[in-house]
Amino acid sequence: MRTGNGEAIPVNAMDIGFIGQHVWNGVMLGVIYAMVAVGFTLFFGVLDVIKFSHGDVLTLGGFVGLATYLGLQRAGVVSPLIQLTAVLAASIGSMALLGALIARYLVLPMRNAPAFITLLITLMIGTVIRESIRLFYPNGSNPQPFPQLLPTHSSHLGSFTLRTDTLILVAAGVTVIWLVHMLVNHTRLGLAIRAVAQDSETARIMGINFRWVVLATFGLGSGLAALAGLMNGMFYSEVYFGNGLMLAVIGFSAAVIGGLGNIYGAILGGFLFAAIQIATVVVLPLPSAYKEVIAFGMVIVLLAFKPTGLIGEKSSERV
Amino acid sequence: MAQKNATSLLAAIVGIALLTGFSIYALHAENEVSMLILLAAGLGGAFVAHKSGFAARATQGLQTHRQAGNLCIVFAFAVVVLVFRNDHFALLQLATLLLYSAVCIGLNLQIGYCGVMNFAGAAFFGVGAYTAAVLATHTQVPHPLVLLAGGLAAALIGSVLLLPVLRTRGHYAALVTIAFGTMFRSFLEVNDTLGGPQGLTVPGLQILGWKLSDGPELFGVSFSFYVNYVILAFALVTAMFILTKRIKRSWIGLSLDAVRIDETAASTFGIHIVRWKITAFVIGNLFAGIAGAFFAMMTGFVAPTNFTLADSLILLSIVVLGGIGNLWGILPAAAIVLLLPEKLQAIQEYRFLLYAVAVILILLFRPQGIFPRRLRAFIPGWGNAR
Amino acid sequence: MSSTLLECRGLTMKFGGLVALNELDLDIRAGEVLGLLGPNGSGKTTFFNVVTGIYAASAGAIRYEGSDISKLSPQQINRCGITRTFQRSRLCLELSVFDNIMIGDHQRLNNGLWFNLMQRARLETQIREAVDRARELAATFSRTLSEKLFEPAGSVTMIDRRRIEICRALISQPKLLLLDEPSAGMTHEETRELMDDILLVRKRIPGLTVVIIEHEMNVIERITNRCVVLNYGRRLCEGTYREIASNADVQQAYLGQS
Repeated sequence: MRTGNGEAIPVNAMDIGFIGQHVWNGVMLGVIYAMVAVGFTLFFGVLDVIKFSHGDVLTLGGFVGLATYLGLQRAGVVSPLIQLTAVLAASIGSMALLGALIARYLVLPMRNAPAFITLLITLMIGTVIRESIRLFYPNGSNPQPFPQLLPTHSSHLGSFTLRTDTLILVAAGVTVIWLVHMLVNHTRLGLAIRAVAQDSETARIMGINFRWVVLATFGLGSGLAALAGLMNGMFYSEVYFGNGLMLAVIGFSAAVIGGLGNIYGAILGGFLFAAIQIATVVVLPLPSAYKEVIAFGMVIVLLAFKPTGLIGEKSSERV
Repeated sequence: MAQKNATSLLAAIVGIALLTGFSIYALHAENEVSMLILLAAGLGGAFVAHKSGFAARATQGLQTHRQAGNLCIVFAFAVVVLVFRNDHFALLQLATLLLYSAVCIGLNLQIGYCGVMNFAGAAFFGVGAYTAAVLATHTQVPHPLVLLAGGLAAALIGSVLLLPVLRTRGHYAALVTIAFGTMFRSFLEVNDTLGGPQGLTVPGLQILGWKLSDGPELFGVSFSFYVNYVILAFALVTAMFILTKRIKRSWIGLSLDAVRIDETAASTFGIHIVRWKITAFVIGNLFAGIAGAFFAMMTGFVAPTNFTLADSLILLSIVVLGGIGNLWGILPAAAIVLLLPEKLQAIQEYRFLLYAVAVILILLFRPQGIFPRRLRAFIPGWGNAR
Repeated sequence: MSSTLLECRGLTMKFGGLVALNELDLDIRAGEVLGLLGPNGSGKTTFFNVVTGIYAASAGAIRYEGSDISKLSPQQINRCGITRTFQRSRLCLELSVFDNIMIGDHQRLNNGLWFNLMQRARLETQIREAVDRARELAATFSRTLSEKLFEPAGSVTMIDRRRIEICRALISQPKLLLLDEPSAGMTHEETRELMDDILLVRKRIPGLTVVIIEHEMNVIERITNRCVVLNYGRRLCEGTYREIASNADVQQAYLGQS
C-alpha cells in the first residue's frame, strides 16, 4: 500500500483514518474544482464561450493575495483578521475586475467568430497571464510559499489529521458554492443570467442589458476563481505560476462531465473528478502524475457514452 | 497580354530572388543590431512592394506560370543550401523550420479547412518522435517505414482521442486535445521506459544504405551532413504541401469547408460529418507524426521538454500569423516565430508572452492573418482568386 | 390519381415540455406543389426538420415511397432524394457561388481520396462538367448569377442568395423539395420573380414535388395545387387555396378570436 508519493506504508495503518484522510483531501479538491467548473459553466452558458484563461486567473488571484500579504507585512500590519480581509478583498476584487475587462475587450467583440478563435484567444490570454507572472514576479518561475492566514492547529483522530484551516476552507467553499446557487436561482441578476443563457436574443428584447449581464457573469466567475486560487494557495501553502493550466483543464473537464451550462452539473463534475483522482491514488500504486491521466481518460470514456454530460448540456442551436 | 505575362513572370522571379537574398542575410545575421536593421529593411521593403503593386504582380506571376515559379523556388532553395553548406547550426535551424512547417500544414488542414480544433500539435509531433526513437533503437525496421510508423502512431492516437467526442460539439474536441497536449509531457516524464525526463537517444536516418549522418561530397566540395536532412525535409514538406493543396482544390476540400462552416446544413446535403472530421484529423496527424519522427532522427535525441502545450501554442501562433487556412503563409510565419527569438536574444525569454500578445492582436484586428486565405480555385488561374 | 410520396401518421415532436408537433397526420402527393401554412409557431419548420432527419421524432411514423424514414440520418434522407432550403439562409458566404451549389451534389460527386489526390485529370473533367451544370442551373434563375459563379456567395444580393440556396437544393435532381419561407424579407417584386423561378423549376424537373412554407398569400394562391394549414402542431384543415382562405377556423387561427 503506497501513499500518493509512492512511499510504502505498513498495512496496519490502513484504517478508516487513512481512508478518511484521502476522502477529506478529495472533498477539499472537489470544492476547488467545483468552483473552477462553475466559472466555466457560467461563461459558457452566457456567451457560449470556453474561457481558457480561467485557470490562470485563479493563479493570478493567488499571487495578488500573496503580494497583498507581503505588502501588508512590510507596512507592519500584523493582525491576521486584517490580513485575511485585505487579501480576500484585493484578490477577489482585482480578479473580478480583470474578468470583466477581459470579457469587455477581448471576448465580447469576438462572440460572432468561430468557436476556435475565441478558444484560441482565451488560451493566449491565459498564456499572457501565466508568462507575466513567471517573468515579472520576483523569482516567478519557482513556487512561492503562501502564508498561513488561517489558524493552523490540527487535531488527530488516529491516523486522520484534521487541519483547522482545511476545515474552514471546505466550509467556506461549500458556503460560496451555495451562495452562487442562491444568486443564480433567487436573485434578479441570477434570473437575468439564466435568461441570457437560455436565449440571449429574447432576453435582450425583454429589456435585459446583455452586456452588463455578461460583464457581471465574467466578474462573478473570475472572483470565484480568485477565491479558489487563495484556497489552493492556503491548502498547499504555495502558489506556482504553472498551476493554472492543469486546473483549467480539470475545471473544464468537470464542467463538461456535468453538462456545460448546467451549474449543478459543474458542481457534481468537480467532486466526481476529485473522487476519481483520489480513488486512483488510493487503489493504484502509480506515481501521482498518472492520477490526472487516468481521471482524464475516464472523462473521455464518459463523454463517449454521454456526449452531453451527466445532467445535460444546454442546447443553443436554432435550425 | 503576352507582355503582361512576361512582366509578371519577371516580377515573380525578382521577388523570389529578393526573398532568398533576404533569408540568407537573416540566417547569417550574427548580432542583434544587424538583425534589427534587416528587420526594418524587410518591413520597409514589404511595405513598398505592397503599395507599388509589385507584390500583387509577383503573386500573379506565380499563379500563371506555375512551372517556372516552382522551378524558381527549388532553385532558390538550392542556393540557400549552397550558401550555408558548412554551417551546421544554420542548416539545423532551416531543417527544424521546415519540419515545424510540416506540422503546421497538418494543423491548417485540421483547423483551417475542416474546423477540427487541435491544441496538441506538438504532442502529436512528439508521438512521432518517440515512436521513431523506440523503433529505430530497438528494432530493425527500415527507416523510411519508421517515419511512416511515426505518422501512423500519431494518427492512431489522435483518432482514439477524438472519435468518442466527434459526434458532439467542437469544444469537446478542443478539451480532449488540450488535455492531451498538457498531459503528454508529464506522462513521458514519469515513464522510465521512455527515458523519463532525460529522454532517449535516436540513431541517425539511414535510407537504403544512404547514411544521412555522413556529410556528402560533391565536386570535391564537402557539405555538412545536415545538408542531407535539409534536402530531405524540403522534399517531405513539398510533398505534404502539394497533397494539401490538392485536397483544397478538390471535392474533398469542398466537403471539409462545408463541415467547418455549417454542420447542420452540410448534413442535410449528405455530407458525413464524422467521416470528414476524422479524415482531416488523421491526415494532419500523419504529417505531424512523420515530421516528428524525422526530427528525432535528425537531432539524434528526444526529450519531453520539446513537446509541451506551450510548443503546441507556438505552432498555433504560426498558423494564425500565416493566415488560418493559408498554406503559403506558413513558412514566413514559422521563420518569424521560430528564428526571430534566436537572432534577437533579448526577446528569447519573453517569446511566449510576445507571441501570445501578437496572436491576440491579430485575432482581434486581422483574423485572416498576414496573408488571408483566398477563394478556392479548383483549377489554378480560374475565376477570381482574390 | 397521383400516388402518395410522403405520409406522416401521428407525428409528434417534443422539446422538453414544448409540443411542437402534436400527432400530425399529413400526406404529400407525388408531383404536387403543396403549401404549408399556419401562424408562427404552428410547427411548419419543425416538420421540415423532422422530415429531413435533423430532429428525431418523439413519436409517430414517416413513410416515404413506402419505406419508414423516421429513424434515418439527414445524410440518408438526402440520398432518398429529399432536399431543402432553410428559413434563415444557411449558405457558406465565404465560399464561391459554385462551391455552395455543388455542396448540394455531394452524394453524386466522387469524394474518394485516391480520385481527388491522384487522378487529377479525371477530377478536372468532373469539375468542368459540374461547372457547366451549375452555370446552366443558375442561368435559369438569373443571368447575373450564372456570371458570378466564382464570386464569394456573400457578395451577391439577397434574392440571388435565395436562388443559390434553391440551386443547391436542385443540383442533385431531387424528388422532393422543401422550401422554407423562400420569400422572407423580399419586396413584392422580388417575390414575384422568385415565384416565377419556382414554376420554372417545376418545368425543368418534371415530377418534382414541392412543399413550400409561406406567409405571402398571393404566392400561395399562384403556385400551389393544395394547401395544408397547421395550428399548434396539428393539421387544421386542407384544400385548395380558395377553400382554406375562406375557412373560418383558419381565419381564427391567424387572426385570433374575433
